[in-house]
Amino acid sequence: MTAGTDVGERADASGDHALVVEGVDSGYGDVQILHDLSMHLEAGEIVCLIGPNGAGKSTVLKTVFGLLTPWSGSVRLDGAEIAGTPPEDLVRRGVGYVPQIENVFSSLTVDENLRMGGVARESGLEARIEELYGQFSILEEKRGAKARTLSGGQRQVLAFARAMVMEPDVLLIDEPSAGLAPSIVEEVFENVEAVNELGTSIVMVEQNAREGLAISDRGYVLDQGTVRFEGSAEELLDDSEVADLYLGG
Amino acid sequence: MLSMLQYVANGIVFSSIIILGAIGLSLVYAIGNFANFAHGDLMTVGAFGAIIGGSFLTGYVPGTEVSIVGIPLSFYLAVLVGMVVATVVALATERLVYRPMDATPIQLLIASIGVALAYRGAIQLRYGAESRTFDVGRGGPIPIIRETIGVSVTQRHLVIVSLTVVLVVSLHVLLQYTTLGRKMRATADNPTLARVSGIRTSEVITAMWIIGAALAAAGGAFLGLDTLVYPDMGFDVLLVLFAAVILGGIGSVYGAVAGGLAIGMAHELTPLIPRVGAEYGPAVAFIIMVAILLVRPSGIMGDRQ
Ligand SMILES: Nc1ncnc2c1ncn2[C@@H]1O[C@H](COP(=O)(O)OP(=O)(O)O)[C@@H](O)[C@H]1O
Ligand SMILES: [Mg+2]
Repeated sequence: MTAGTDVGERADASGDHALVVEGVDSGYGDVQILHDLSMHLEAGEIVCLIGPNGAGKSTVLKTVFGLLTPWSGSVRLDGAEIAGTPPEDLVRRGVGYVPQIENVFSSLTVDENLRMGGVARESGLEARIEELYGQFSILEEKRGAKARTLSGGQRQVLAFARAMVMEPDVLLIDEPSAGLAPSIVEEVFENVEAVNELGTSIVMVEQNAREGLAISDRGYVLDQGTVRFEGSAEELLDDSEVADLYLGG
Repeated sequence: MLSMLQYVANGIVFSSIIILGAIGLSLVYAIGNFANFAHGDLMTVGAFGAIIGGSFLTGYVPGTEVSIVGIPLSFYLAVLVGMVVATVVALATERLVYRPMDATPIQLLIASIGVALAYRGAIQLRYGAESRTFDVGRGGPIPIIRETIGVSVTQRHLVIVSLTVVLVVSLHVLLQYTTLGRKMRATADNPTLARVSGIRTSEVITAMWIIGAALAAAGGAFLGLDTLVYPDMGFDVLLVLFAAVILGGIGSVYGAVAGGLAIGMAHELTPLIPRVGAEYGPAVAFIIMVAILLVRPSGIMGDRQ
């Protein structure tokens, strides 16, 4: 474990992390998926979660975002415990989440999807939506179209924009490039980077591990519900064991 | 032998009543996520709320004998009372029965059968099993319509159909052009993503019950105005409501309107079929439902493949 250092030590090192997950067990019904999982996100970072299918990456995001309640352990946002806080409250505390699947309202129009993304905004909804149309011209072109008529790439853009209506401080995003053509993948990552530069800290799950790590500050390799390796993106990309096992050689 | 147009007129009246019931049934399926077998009896609750509440109004509120389209103001107020009663009953049921159960759709369906029996039993216990009529005067067919096109349409029928149109159009505007309506559609579409977006779905579910119950009550009161008010009245149309909802595409409000129209018409046009009497109306309605579902398995407006 060259790139992997002691997980608990890192997570505890500082109190001003944007997000800390510490010793979390979680799962579905009575099936445990996450085992003593710890990770953190510093303000301003992009952190990438990689690992094989079924490793529990999506489960981590669902547990952080209150769709699952951790069985034990702690989840803290700016130092405050948020384990089990429901999603509708987390949205109001500056956390956003883009699910891996079914991440748009398919029977609603593009415009209505964005409005639903902003139900918790107290003011400036119209201006914010116009701003997003300026940023994502494809959405502006399709504003009256039902989301189900969009292509896969357009849907990912809409799902991303829906979460961005709230201008979250912390964004959790699950496989934004899944199933997209390589040219579009690049565009999606550019969007993620652009949002990060405007001050949003990001946890991103990615199947395209190399490309995902390339735009990230740090990464965690998950396997069987726990962190196997962690380190800076460069360390993970350079680590031969990580490369062999998780980056496809 | 009545004219074809007469059957169509009867069909429009019956369809109106079915549509009002079917919308709520479909809403509960779409947002509450279960088939509510108590919905027919909720129509009965609304009808009794209207007829009992209305008789108090005529006694204590002056001026209720003024008539609008030949129907006294007291009836319109009574419908409002029925809507309020049904809404309170539906919300109380949701809080005391469905929500605490935290159950699967099948468990909720079975619970709703119990709720249906409880509504019906409570009404019969308090008000007896006999039939009642709304005290709105006799009012025969409107002469001018009868003379011009030979169809007998009463003022009651006109009131039922026009108020149904007003209610359905209002619901359409609510669903399409208000934030609450968009939240309702979003929650029906994808409840998890709705919460992820910040929608407080428990508030949306409350709104859904209020709308469904109020429309059911209006449908029940109109059914009572057209025929009789008695404890089994809502249960007697429940299967027809389900046929309308399934035909329209279960979970779709617009489907419930289309399905209600088709089923209501089929039900009333049955006597036009040679050697088939009006008593086979429900059977013919179901045959039509099955036939359409064979061609469009997800219903008229259904989008589930
Ligand atoms: N809704 C669910 N109910 C039960 N098990 C689930 C559910 N979602 C995922 N799982 C299981 O949890 C494990 C981890 O899944 P997931 O977190 O989606 O993995 P990843 O995102 O890393 O591919 C898998 O074994 C998967 O089968
Ligand atoms: Mg996943």
